[in-house]
Amino acid sequence: MIEGRSITRTFAARRGALGHRGVRALRGVDFTIPDRGAVSFIGESGCGKTTLGRILCGLEDFDGGDLIIAGQSMAGLRPGQRAPYHRRIQMIHQDPYSALNPTRTIGQILADPLTLRARQLDADRGRLDRGWLDRGWLDRGWLDKRRAELLGFVGLDPDYVLPRYPHMLSGGMRQRVVIARALTVDPEVLVADEAVSMIDVSLRLGILQLLRDLRETIGVSVLFITHDVATARYIGQGGRLYVIYRGAVVEHGDTDTVIQHPAHPYTQCLLSAVPVLQGIERPGPDRVVPTGPLDERSEPPGCLFEPRCPFAEEDCRAAPPELGQLGGTRQRHACLHPARRSVVAVPAGSGAA
Amino acid sequence: MAAGVRVRDLTVSFPTPDGPLPAVAGVSLDLARGQITGLVGESGSGKSTLALTLLNAVPAPGHVSSGSVLIDDVGDVLALRRAELRRARGAKIGYVFQASQNSLNPLKPVGKQLLDLGRSHGQRDLRAFLHTARLLMDEMGLDAERVLASYQHELSGGMRQRVGIALALVLNAHVLILDEPTTALDMLTQASVLAIIRKVHAERHLTTLVISHDMGVVGDLADRMAVMYAGRIVEEGPTAQVLADPRHPYTRGLLTSMPRITGEIKEARPLPGRVPDLASAPRQGCVFRPRCPLATDACATAEPPATVLGDRRFACYVAAGEAGAAA
Repeated sequence: MIEGRSITRTFAARRGALGHRGVRALRGVDFTIPDRGAVSFIGESGCGKTTLGRILCGLEDFDGGDLIIAGQSMAGLRPGQRAPYHRRIQMIHQDPYSALNPTRTIGQILADPLTLRARQLDADRGRLDRGWLDRGWLDRGWLDKRRAELLGFVGLDPDYVLPRYPHMLSGGMRQRVVIARALTVDPEVLVADEAVSMIDVSLRLGILQLLRDLRETIGVSVLFITHDVATARYIGQGGRLYVIYRGAVVEHGDTDTVIQHPAHPYTQCLLSAVPVLQGIERPGPDRVVPTGPLDERSEPPGCLFEPRCPFAEEDCRAAPPELGQLGGTRQRHACLHPARRSVVAVPAGSGAA
Repeated sequence: MAAGVRVRDLTVSFPTPDGPLPAVAGVSLDLARGQITGLVGESGSGKSTLALTLLNAVPAPGHVSSGSVLIDDVGDVLALRRAELRRARGAKIGYVFQASQNSLNPLKPVGKQLLDLGRSHGQRDLRAFLHTARLLMDEMGLDAERVLASYQHELSGGMRQRVGIALALVLNAHVLILDEPTTALDMLTQASVLAIIRKVHAERHLTTLVISHDMGVVGDLADRMAVMYAGRIVEEGPTAQVLADPRHPYTRGLLTSMPRITGEIKEARPLPGRVPDLASAPRQGCVFRPRCPLATDACATAEPPATVLGDRRFACYVAAGEAGAAA
């Protein structure tokens, strides 16, 4: 299990304008990624969801709060000591066309991290063979077996894929190779940041289903980062959704509950923005549109979404609302005036509006 | 219904080591005047190549090997001379390029680029031209003064996309072509850009073509839609009819493979196989055959002709049989 406790991150502003204290990318985010779980971070560009993913992978530092990996607090460790913990969390990059070295075959691409992992495991077991390290290679049989096994997990044929270069594979196959490479170091969590947005539409669902299946077959958890709420439904049962706005969680709960009955006006805006397919869907009757564009420079004293919220009232401007279940909702949300609104499109055939 | 744009038997070929191969193969398509037509297809299906022929701007070494593109008030763009073509581009046909968010000149403020556009199209009264541009930007919810003084990097993705649309329309084009207008934008920005497209389309009585790989964008925006696969239009018709009752197996497959906010998760199914490129597309018979769950021996013989059914058409032997049996 991985846990984030009031994680904050502020980026220094490039220009030292008067009173400008930098960009607050994360403002105290709490989250939990359970074992074999499926967690999604949803929000528009610039909301901090990618920064959060990078912090989890150890690619970015946090400046407040704590990250607990396997029971160990990261805040208490020096950066150099954190690496073995971050090994458990691996990133699947957005663009499979640039994430693989074009001059190396898939076999080579998988061999390097596997070699490292083998050394690590041997060191952990106390069987460090100096001669082996100096030679720099390891048991060929183990390597071949493991590569074939990993490619099998992601639904690729090892005989076809291993000798080929990335450019010889389709986008969907490349993304599967990227996933197999992430699995070489036995991670417990896969962080998929917009992992299907660069892939051909007809193949996207295959990748989503693969992530779902990997939860069951090898027991990894999946952290899914996206602006497209619909894709979050496809990574399997028991998913949890965190809706992030300007670095703060504004709504969080069971994926289906949040999509069916969003409580926070921002979540309602996000869901209203999903395109409606004419002929098979009708727009939800209460679609909500923000009253203005995002202004990252504004720092309202109350609710962060208040300046764009069509339902803002006087008390929204007073103090930032806290996450809770005001109004008796099943999910937690940070809105003083939660209201039920049908914003998601309804199937055209159904009688209920 | 009058057509604003009429594409007939268009074939665009690219030379390859295996000889010339068609990126667009015998395509006929009408863009109804005053309507939004959506063109859906995956990467490599030839949809951008098709759109570029409307400007007669197919990039070399590709070339139009046959067909015609008739545009209202312009004539056959493929037969225009260089100077006429230059005048038609921009003044009659507005084009918003793919990734237009990144196609502004990073070294010049937007206002200067706008003036360059005016000068190169022989606008004598630049003051009036600038005024028109300001009105257009206001119409699109942009703060014109701020935008004109800004460099590209000072604008958000959604604002750049709107600037792209404004630049395409400022010379009063009556045909607007948008290539992937919302790719790389998040959902909220996408929704606002779609609303702007809908608005300028209606207010300016445009004939609009929207190209996207995203069925959602076309399904939401377009009056009519065409589905493209491996250089062919495999299905075409009124959007609501095509989505409610798709006839071509590829259209059906695209719909069931689409992650959606409504509907049963269990019914979603990825499309098997891979998207073909020029070299791997079948040379004979139906191009979709290798991925088609319904393929029969007949599909391997010759390319299926278009079956016309009321206001719509599709190119599939099996679907034609179903339609014939029902009739």
